Amino acid sequence: MTPLIRTENLVTNFYTYEGVVRALNGVSLVVDHGTTFGLVGESGCGKSVAVRSMMRIIQEPGRVEGGRVVAFFDPRDKRRGIDLLQQSEAYMEHLRGDQISMIFQEPNAALNPIMSIGDQVAESFLFHKKKEMAAAVLAAMDRENGRPPWPLGAFQRALYARTAVSPRDPLVALTGRLPLVRRWQMRLRREALRRSVEIIGKLGIPNPEAVARLYPHNLSGGMKQRIVIAIALACSPLLLIADEATSNLDVTIQAQILDLLRHLKETEIASILLITHDLGVVAETCDRVGVMYAGNLCEVANVTDLFNAPRHPYTRALLEAVPRLHQDGPLRSIEGAVPNLVNPPAGCRFHPRCPEARAICRKHFPETVHLGGDHSVACYLYTDRPRGEGAA
Amino acid sequence: MLTYILRRFFFLTFVLFGVSVLLFGILMTFSPERRAAAYVTTPQQAKDIPRIIQQFGLDDPFYVQYVRWIKEVSRGNMGWSLVAARPVGEAFWRYFPITLEMNLYAAPIVIFLGIWLGSVSGIHRDSWIDHSTRIFAIIGWSLPTFLFALVLLMVFYGYFQMFSPGVLSDALAMSIIDHPDQYTAYTGMLTIDGLLNGRLDIALDALHHLVLPILTYVIVVVALNMRVMRSGIIEELSKDYVLTARAKGADRRTIHYRHARRNALLPVVTVAGQLVAMSMEGSIAVEVVYNRQGIGWWLAESATQLDMPVLMCICLFMGVVFVVTNLTIDILYAYIDPRIRLN
Repeated sequence: MTPLIRTENLVTNFYTYEGVVRALNGVSLVVDHGTTFGLVGESGCGKSVAVRSMMRIIQEPGRVEGGRVVAFFDPRDKRRGIDLLQQSEAYMEHLRGDQISMIFQEPNAALNPIMSIGDQVAESFLFHKKKEMAAAVLAAMDRENGRPPWPLGAFQRALYARTAVSPRDPLVALTGRLPLVRRWQMRLRREALRRSVEIIGKLGIPNPEAVARLYPHNLSGGMKQRIVIAIALACSPLLLIADEATSNLDVTIQAQILDLLRHLKETEIASILLITHDLGVVAETCDRVGVMYAGNLCEVANVTDLFNAPRHPYTRALLEAVPRLHQDGPLRSIEGAVPNLVNPPAGCRFHPRCPEARAICRKHFPETVHLGGDHSVACYLYTDRPRGEGAA
Repeated sequence: MLTYILRRFFFLTFVLFGVSVLLFGILMTFSPERRAAAYVTTPQQAKDIPRIIQQFGLDDPFYVQYVRWIKEVSRGNMGWSLVAARPVGEAFWRYFPITLEMNLYAAPIVIFLGIWLGSVSGIHRDSWIDHSTRIFAIIGWSLPTFLFALVLLMVFYGYFQMFSPGVLSDALAMSIIDHPDQYTAYTGMLTIDGLLNGRLDIALDALHHLVLPILTYVIVVVALNMRVMRSGIIEELSKDYVLTARAKGADRRTIHYRHARRNALLPVVTVAGQLVAMSMEGSIAVEVVYNRQGIGWWLAESATQLDMPVLMCICLFMGVVFVVTNLTIDILYAYIDPRIRLN
């Protein structure tokens, strides 16, 4: 398996008035090329923070303070990879939406309420595909060049020619900002809109031309989620992160969206990182699963291994808490509550709720042990050694 | 759309009726003698008071007096202004341009400066620029206008002899009076009339006299606008669609100006509209301190002298202004926010 993106000891803290929220406490995971990785855990365990840290879109007052996010997107850099945390913001802007993109949890909030659907999808193209689109516009201009090239038209053509060479050309950037003058980009916008309509149609929305002209409040939740997916897919990214993409939808819509994601993985994108708290979704869609608890990744395994032979006490408890159809007696739940991350328990953060906690669990965080078969777990049941550097 | 506008204008008549009844009722709490006394200037005339009451029916029942007033108003007769010593309608068109002229310059500054400063401080939250605009806003919002106007007048006119009060320098005012045939008052607004008459000196001098009033007014009023914009930007930037935009690869500029600012503008439209509407009655403190005889000054003078027709006129005018402003705000809202449909 070739890795696509890898995090190493990712640490993210939020500096709130109540204190420092230690949301990520050294998370290391690998998403391989062509696989679906599931990240599960209770609400507030840091799943979203982990993926947002990977994309570097943590909002204030959060800060990624340690670790590495190594991406192997560039075929020329297959062996070494690029540490995204060391890159400039401009580099990340260039990467986001083009190579990694994200689908959000709440489709009702994830779209700008006062911008038309078509414009919102078109933005993805305008950010990343300017060069190709300018070339397409230029070709179309040359094809229809029946009328005499009036001076403004010639100027417009020259600007498109410059954009087709380099979208960051200073003259292009300047004229793209000046009021009125920036209207030369009309054809570029039209081209982006045309592509948006195409991608909206691809996602199984009937009558995409009409939908592109609507606003988010005109659409149902499932439709909105499809639009959010369309935005994420616009530039065919290598990695699609779905942050609880189906949690807030009806069960039927949820199934449709999951089917859509599965279909897209086969046709459009390389890998999916799926965040969910629904173990059923994980069993159905994922190849590998990571279980998170209070900012730590406690167990990572292939999906069958995890469900058949869970190793970490938390994973076991989590699986036992899933209701089953032919179960007698009350539903099992995990004793205790999720710890407050401003003042997390010392040592293994699960020890206060763990039925198998020992003395050492209260002092140091355990190291991650590889049990063979790509199954790794961080628990003193399988090792005696605490985690080394980077442990909190 | 048109039916919506027409319907709103239809409601305007009810608003005006309500406003006039209310104000008329308040003025009726003064005794007939007190109201008649407004027309008495010397002690000798005091004996005429019963005759004035008799003649104008000041002791008639409320509704009789109100209907009498309404009849005259509907004929276009707003009454006689004691303060202006001319009919109210005529006096209104004499004072209104002075106020309107100031608003014409101040309103765009208030709106655009407020939006700009508000977005900058919202985007750079808790930076030095946010703190300095906050201090600026607190000073502007909490200092009494009259005090602030006096301090500015004292510093700029008192010490530096830079901006004199009034609307026009005496020499230029005299030149207009001396040669009435060479100067036509098209609008009553000196900066515009000066240009229309080809008298650049008058236009510039009038503008010069506008500097301090506009400065005072802007600093006092821009604060509210700015703070609303700032909190709007901060709220919008924390919303999920901003995250979607970032995940798309949007740069900061696009996020701030294309996404957050347009959403944050909605409450600002309301606030700015109300500010502009309120400023139409003229800032009393600004007009009195800087000796500009506009609506605000006229209102203050009339109120102290119980000049009833003037008070009624200005209140009706404000009723119209507020209804029209609210209508404009609603139309702008529908334009900015696709979720809002008129009717």
